[in-house]
Amino acid sequence: MISTGINGIDDMLGGGIPRGSRVMYSMEPGVDGQLFMISTLFAALSKGLSCLVVLPHTTFDIFKHDAAMKRGCTMEIFNKKVVFIDAVDRERIEKSSRTRKDVLKAWETKVKKLSKENAVEIAFIYVDLLYNDLGLEGTISIAEAAKTSGTTTLILEHLNLEGRSLIDQFIEKYSYDLIIAISSAFRSQLHFNYFTLMHTSWSNVPRRSVPFIATEGRVVPYIPKIVVTGPTQAGKSTFVTNASDLGFSIDRRGVAGDPTTVAMDFGWLHWKNFEITVYGTPGQQRFDSVVPMLLSHAMGIVLLIDATKPSALERARHHVQLIREKRLPMVIAANKSDLPGTMSDSEIRKGLDLQKDVPLFFISATRKGDVRLVLESLVDYITQYTN
Amino acid sequence: MYNFKSGIVQIDQGFGGFEAGTNFLVLAPPMSLAEDLAYSLTKPLPGEYAIVLSTNDRAAEVIDAFKVMEVDKRYVGTIDAITKSSTPGIADTTRLMFVASPTDLTGIGIKFSKMVELIFDGDFSDGESGLFPPPVRFCVNSVSTLLMYRKLEVLYQFLHVLTSKVKKIDGVGFYLLNNESFDEKTISLVKQLMTGVIEVKIEQSTNYLRIMGIKGVPSKWQKFSVQKGQVVIGP
Repeated sequence: MISTGINGIDDMLGGGIPRGSRVMYSMEPGVDGQLFMISTLFAALSKGLSCLVVLPHTTFDIFKHDAAMKRGCTMEIFNKKVVFIDAVDRERIEKSSRTRKDVLKAWETKVKKLSKENAVEIAFIYVDLLYNDLGLEGTISIAEAAKTSGTTTLILEHLNLEGRSLIDQFIEKYSYDLIIAISSAFRSQLHFNYFTLMHTSWSNVPRRSVPFIATEGRVVPYIPKIVVTGPTQAGKSTFVTNASDLGFSIDRRGVAGDPTTVAMDFGWLHWKNFEITVYGTPGQQRFDSVVPMLLSHAMGIVLLIDATKPSALERARHHVQLIREKRLPMVIAANKSDLPGTMSDSEIRKGLDLQKDVPLFFISATRKGDVRLVLESLVDYITQYTN
Repeated sequence: MYNFKSGIVQIDQGFGGFEAGTNFLVLAPPMSLAEDLAYSLTKPLPGEYAIVLSTNDRAAEVIDAFKVMEVDKRYVGTIDAITKSSTPGIADTTRLMFVASPTDLTGIGIKFSKMVELIFDGDFSDGESGLFPPPVRFCVNSVSTLLMYRKLEVLYQFLHVLTSKVKKIDGVGFYLLNNESFDEKTISLVKQLMTGVIEVKIEQSTNYLRIMGIKGVPSKWQKFSVQKGQVVIGP
């Protein structure tokens, strides 16, 4: 397997990209997604794989400098096994060819020759200008020229101005093995980038979009909002506190003398290659009007119940209903399961009217390990969930 | 809805300026005052921001042009598609960003988004803040250069993306195009993406402009000059 250089994506792909695959990073205009291809290139170079980089839009000097800056490292990595075809070569090809057919032939010959001479294992091709000059068929044919053996892997980056129809062509007509679309939500007051695994030929990863941030030269999948909800006194604040590397709770002492959340709990953590923020809702009925607002824009929900309190299941069913209406990925955490009188799996499922495929965990929210297990499961569920 | 003052009395007094979320093609022959005109329309007023995509001039020249207009440079960002080819190691700053060449549409798109994001996040002007939501003026100098390197269909799609983004952020965009170097088909295709057209012509060494596409503004030819970043109409 070849690493994409992005841990979260490697996990989703079952370890990386099989050798010999054809991969495309399809970039929506304006989205800062160049780190995807660069991360894969750097991962390949650091493994000592022989690489060819085709960059008709720029010179290799500029590319090396920009790529190293984006990764926040020196250009030393390019002293490894890598050869380039760049804008200067493109100009030479254009000047020495009389027809478009000649241009295509010259490109194919050059790519094939360099690939063979250097026993290239991965070819990285910036498609944009080739597509402009030679169309899609021509571009594909140049990429294929780099595939001098069955194990040569092709990685393409393309500025996709045509949207879904182009992606479909890569999947259906050219049988590409992995398509990752990189997009952004460009709104007047909120920007975030996300990637979508559009297609994988070797696994059944469902199509799912995951936001990401580019930080310190790395692409980090980012779950902007996980909400922990459930009936009162189920242990939500304890859960959020133990889930977080950093967090706080807005509590007041309730009539029974116990602390109760009156606004929300909030926490942040780095877990399983994802940056995650966790919100806890208040559980009391009088705060019900706040809960839908806290659920909005959530990417996943932990429904926390007191496993020793069957009487609270009816209230929890109200939460289940709310989450179902919003079609959000959900896991159930049955808290206090270390105490006597814990309900069984089937009692809880029946009481909450849950399908078998909804993950249910018996935990103690006071144990960090239990809490992290629930979150890990939810992250898996979010990245593989189809609604 | 925010209105961007044009500095042209006839537009500002009668119609309040350019509406937010609009894009204008500045169609002009070479050697006219078109660039000065486009820069003066892009000049940020207090509280506003400007982004210039420069495919013709180095960032330093763009900054100089705005300096002449006595603009606070903390509110002007430049995406320079020229300098990097001769200085590969040049690094981006908050307000000066570089792309490999005018062919690098991927880079241009990214740098534009980044600058807008910095403006909206309040990280653009060394701690100074303008209006919120930030009114952003955008200028491309020029579309002609982009057309020299790219197929019309590709550039059309790219400009469609840029003009849509200007609309989404409620900005105003000005796109310079040399009307003597391209055929009618090219010009009319680019026009389709615009809210209006500001056309420039020169007759006997005098510059004229006419504005088409702003409701109520008569589209007759008028003499104009640009003095210290101010468009002066007539006499």
